[in-house]
Formats: sequence, structure tokens, C-alpha cells
Amino acid sequence: MTRTRTPGISRRSTLALMGAGAMSVAAPWVARAQAKTIKIGMPTILSGRVAQLGTSSRNAVMLEVEKVNAAGGLAGRQIEMVIRDSKGQPQEAARVARELVNTDGCELVIDAEASSGAFAVHEVARDLGVFCIHTNSETSALTADPKQRIPNAFRTARQGVHDSIVGGSYAAAIAKAKGLKKWATCSPDYAYGRDTTAEFTLYLKRFAPEVEIISESWPKLFQPDYTEVVTKILQAKPQALYSCLWGGDLTSYIDQANIYAMFGQMEVFAVNMADYTALTVVKNLPKGIHSGNRYIKTFPTTPENAAWGDAYKAKFNEYPTNWSWENATAIMLMAEAAKKANSADGKKIAEVLKGLTIKCPFGADGTVTMRGDDHTLVGYAIGWGTTIPQEPYVPEVKAGDWKTIFELEAEWKKSKGYT
Amino acid sequence: MTELEAGRAQTLVPVRSGAVLQRYRDVLIALIAFAVLASLPLFTGSKALLDFVIRCSAYGLFATSLNLLVGYTGLTSFGHGMFFGLGAYSFGLIMQKLGVPIPAAFVATLAITAVFATIIGAICVRLKEIYFAFVTLAFQMLIHSTILSWASFTGGDQGLRGGIPRPVFLGIDLSNHVHLYVTSCALLILGLLAMRQIAQSPFGYTLRMIRDNAARASFLGIDVWRAKLTVFVLAALFASMGGMVMALFVSGAYPEFAYWTISGEGIFINMLGGVSTFLGPMVGTVLLLLLNDTVTRFTEYHGIVLGVVILFFALGLRKGLLDFVAEWYAHRRETGEER
Repeated sequence: MTRTRTPGISRRSTLALMGAGAMSVAAPWVARAQAKTIKIGMPTILSGRVAQLGTSSRNAVMLEVEKVNAAGGLAGRQIEMVIRDSKGQPQEAARVARELVNTDGCELVIDAEASSGAFAVHEVARDLGVFCIHTNSETSALTADPKQRIPNAFRTARQGVHDSIVGGSYAAAIAKAKGLKKWATCSPDYAYGRDTTAEFTLYLKRFAPEVEIISESWPKLFQPDYTEVVTKILQAKPQALYSCLWGGDLTSYIDQANIYAMFGQMEVFAVNMADYTALTVVKNLPKGIHSGNRYIKTFPTTPENAAWGDAYKAKFNEYPTNWSWENATAIMLMAEAAKKANSADGKKIAEVLKGLTIKCPFGADGTVTMRGDDHTLVGYAIGWGTTIPQEPYVPEVKAGDWKTIFELEAEWKKSKGYT
Repeated sequence: MTELEAGRAQTLVPVRSGAVLQRYRDVLIALIAFAVLASLPLFTGSKALLDFVIRCSAYGLFATSLNLLVGYTGLTSFGHGMFFGLGAYSFGLIMQKLGVPIPAAFVATLAITAVFATIIGAICVRLKEIYFAFVTLAFQMLIHSTILSWASFTGGDQGLRGGIPRPVFLGIDLSNHVHLYVTSCALLILGLLAMRQIAQSPFGYTLRMIRDNAARASFLGIDVWRAKLTVFVLAALFASMGGMVMALFVSGAYPEFAYWTISGEGIFINMLGGVSTFLGPMVGTVLLLLLNDTVTRFTEYHGIVLGVVILFFALGLRKGLLDFVAEWYAHRRETGEER
């Protein structure tokens, strides 16, 4: 190894390179934002397995931003979206979020990250004090846990515990009517799958105490082959099956379970079925799968919702996803708050946003509310229905009751020590 | 000291004094580099630039420590990222659960990493080449799976939430951006200097001999297993330091830090910068982060761009950038002397 001893060269050239690197990093910083437009930064997942969801978030945001800009902008300032890929890595999400604020001069942030990425961006919001709306993370703790709470961060995504309460009570009613006592579960083996399944069975048993879980399967996330899971469930002979598999996992699972004619042998409750990303991809969508609504243009059954779904389809040539409505709602809320505050300043928007109720196509009663005490969205359309193999896929959705949700949510928070 | 080294010592007195001189020069360069980096906030208000250097510190420590294994000892570890993750998680958990002063958590994390690295290393370094690579990868996946499934302790796939507390110590407040920046720079420079000393020490040359011909080293009386294990643990400590810097930067720890992709990035950085010079991985780090940051600004198809760059380095240059520059310089000098 004589080369490492070559005097000088390696260090000198390295320092030169580092200098050059520093210059090129600093350069874009010089080009500061124009005062008139307001930049909104948005880290999201645009590559990898869930890129489709990130893209659908971007589409929905752009659709709404166009409307806001056409109507005069955010308190008179035109919105310019700066959307960057985080690759679904939390450290990248944190970096991108910091860069958006520090380098690109974004004054507001929409965090369209899933799970751990959202918590990483949340820390950036805590650190920089920038206004931030989480649009995709459904993890209840993000807003329910008072340790997480900061005055400048909000969430416009559905919340895991809301879904479980509605799903549990819906499933319990059917279990009682049809006498379904023996249940099996099959959910992906990570925090979302484990937590959601535990909460669902908690509420299912609460409303129907005679229910018994006789088999549990935990396939890996993004597992390609479900044969052993399907046969295990068939051998256990349950009367009903719960699953919170989603996206590609759910569609491959259904395609493979169809080979064993599984859906004729038991009632299936798949919370993530009624989303176009799953509905339109499954080869033979079985009739009668129970599912929670993710996004579907026929629920809520209002002309506003149908028009929004069609407008999205017309512009992007595909149907919106669950993430789409959540992101669109963020822009709608920001626009309304900015109008009320007559300012695009993050602090003022945050003040007005607390407890703000707006008209919204995705509201259970035509409105949604940003709850003041824990900064999370409530009053959005949430319900369960059964599938048919062709459009509209889920013809009738039974809406969940928000009064029950609020009661049980308060109880759940207490049991977790959050209140 | 082995008998061979003892015998050599007498004839190598001039070389020894040269080594001492070189050590002084290394320290001097380190001091200058630190002074330049630390004074950067005085000249620019760019937080992005400071963020960039902090991330360079984290990845640079990690990649250079990997080069101690890959470049100097010939141990191609595919699981080095486990120590990056271990550092981040240990530090974050100690700070969150025990609330001890930061230096105590720092030292405790290094101790934990040393214990893990000794156990894992004792099993791995007996193996060679592809077997070593895969067993390290297996241990990495074991640690990653443990982080995922021990959700009550580690937060599972959501990571360590709620931020890492940073109590002030010795007047240093790590929640202050500039303080964090200067501390990261100091850790980077100290880490690099320490690794440089390891690489240039007799032990470092023993490692090179093991890489080039382990059987020969063994016949010369060197305990190959012990030397490999020592460097494995040392490299793990510096990777763990990198992980701690990263944990402070993002104020959390996430399972991705212990995933194989981090190890992959380390290998890629080494390929980019070159493994035959000490600062090669550092150059690779700056290159990769610059590339990553600029490419993701313009396109979400960054995978294609990075792929083309890898192909360019692997097929075009056939070596890392700094290797290429060093060879080109040496070649120029040789031809210059001939004239």
C-alpha cells in the first residue's frame, strides 16, 4: 500500500472537492422565494412500492391548488407547490422537509408521508416551528398522544382508532345477525397491521362478546405468495375473516384465495378493499366482501363527491385513492383558514384552523372539522359496505355514527393514558 | 509486538521518525479542516449547507469505518449498517428513557456497540469472503427484525417517536443548529483522525498484510482472528458514532437505519470514492449526498440517474474517484520524472 502514502494529493483534492460541493449546495439558497407567491413544501413517496399513493397525493393537491389559485390564491398570494420524493425513508423525509423550508423558502409544509416518515417530519416541524399538516399517517398516536402534540402541526388523515370503532360495530352487527362466532384474522406483520387488527377485534368483541378468534395469520408486508396463509385459514374453518391487507398485497391475496374458492366459505371483512387501487386491480372481485370506505366516489352519496371523483379521473385518467381525499382536504382547510385569518402566515393559519369547520365533499354531513384539542380531522365520511364485481363496486355504504365514535374514542384515549 | 516487528524496528528507525512527522501533519490537517468547517457558519447563513455537512459527518464516519474493513482488511461486510442503526437506537433510547447527560449516553452507546460487535464479530470474522458478507447481512437483518418486532421498547416500524431530548452540557446546546453542526464536525474530524491513526499504525499495516495474504500473516505469527475481530469492533464504534450524529440530526431513530440498504449505501459510497485511499469514502460520501440531493430536486427517477453513475464508475473508471485521481497524479509525476 504505497498509494495511501503519496504525499498530499488525496487530501488536497478531497478538500477541493468538498469546497466545490459546498459551493454547489449553497448556490440555490441564493435564489430566494419571490415575496408574492407562497411556497408550500411537500415531501411524499414518489418511488418504490407505494409510489402510486404518493402520486395520487400530488395529483389531488395540484387539483385543489389550481382552484385556490384561480380564486385569488392563499390570502392573495399564489401558491407554488414544491413536491419532492422522500423514497419512503424517514431520514430522507426529514432532510427533504428541512431543505424545503431552509433552502427553498417554503413557508408551509404538507407532510404526505406514511408511518415513520410522518414522525420524522413531525420532529422537523417541532424543531423549525413551521406550519405542517400531516395528510397520510393514520397512526392514532401522532395526534392522540399529548407528548407528540405541537401547536403548529395538524392532521387531515383518517385515524386508525376511528376506523376500528366503525369497523368493529359494523362487523358485530353482522356477526349477531348471521351468528358468526368463529373468526380468523389475516393482516400484514408490521405496526399498522398488528395495531389495527387488535383494535378491530377489541371493538368487535365489545359489541359482540360471543365472538372468538380461532386463527391468526401475519403474512409479511409485500409477501408475494399467500398459499400457506390461505390453506391455514381454510383448515381452521372460521365463519368470518378479518384482514387489513392493503394495495398490492390485498389484490394478490384475493386472487390467490379465489383459487381455493375461499370467499364462498366465510364472510370476509377487508377494511382496505373499497379503494380503487384494489377494486380495479383484482381479477375476479368476489361479490359480498365487507369493506370500509377508503375513497369511493359513491360515498358519501353527494353530487359534490361524485363531481370531485370525476374531475380527478378526467384530469389524471385514474380514480383517486384514500390519500387523494386526505391531501385535497388539507388544501381546502388551509385555503379556508387563510381566508378567515386574511393572512398566509403559518402561525395565524394555525390559530384559525383549530376547531375550524368547512364544507367538504368528503364530510359525513357535507362538512369536516379540524378538532381543536388534538389537531386531527373529524366528521369525515366513514362507513362499511359490501362489494360487487363491477362499478360502482360498493353500491351501498352504511355510514358510521360519529357520536359513537367520539364516545369510544374518548374512552380509548383514557385507557391509553392520553387524557 | 510480534518478533518480526521487533526485528524490523531496528532497521526502520528513519521510517519511524517519518511516521511521527506524518502523524503531526495529519493532526495539523485535521485542525485546519476543523477550523475551516467550524468557521463556516460565520460566512454563510445557509442552514441547508450546515445540514449537508451534518449528514456528511454521519455518513462519512460510517463509510470510512466500513473502509477499514473493506479497503484495509479485505472484509467486505454487507451488514455494517447494523452498527449505524444500533448507535442511533441505543443513543436515542438512553436519552429518552434515562435522561442522562449527552456525553454519558455517548460513551454508553459506544460500550453497547462494542459488546454487540465483539459477539457478532467473534462469529463472523472466522468466515471468508462471501460467507463473511452473508453472515454479517444475516446479523443485520436479525437486529432489524428485533427493532421491528420489539415495538413496546423500540417503537417498531414507526421508530423512536417524540424526539430525542438534548440537555445542555458544558455550554453546548445540541438543539441549537449551529452547536449541533460544530459538534458533528468535531466528531467527524476526531473520528477520521482516529481512523487515520489506526490505518497508519503497525496494526493498520498488519491488516493490509492480512488482506493481501492471510496465510502468510498467520505464518509470521500474527493472530489473524484477533486482528480481524479488533478492527471489526473498532469499525463498529465509528459506525455507531455516525448513527448517533444521524439520530441527533433527525431527532429520532428509525428501523431504516438498521436496514440492509444503509449497508448498501456504505458499499456504494466506497465504490464511488475509492477504497485504496484513506479519504476515498469521504469523497464518496460528499459525491453521493450531492448527487442524491440534486437529483431528487429535479426528478423522482433518481434510481436511473444513480444507476448510470454506478455504471460509469464500475465500467468506465473501474475504480473510485479518488483512486482514479491518485493514479492519474502518480502517473503524471512518473512521466514528469522520466523527462
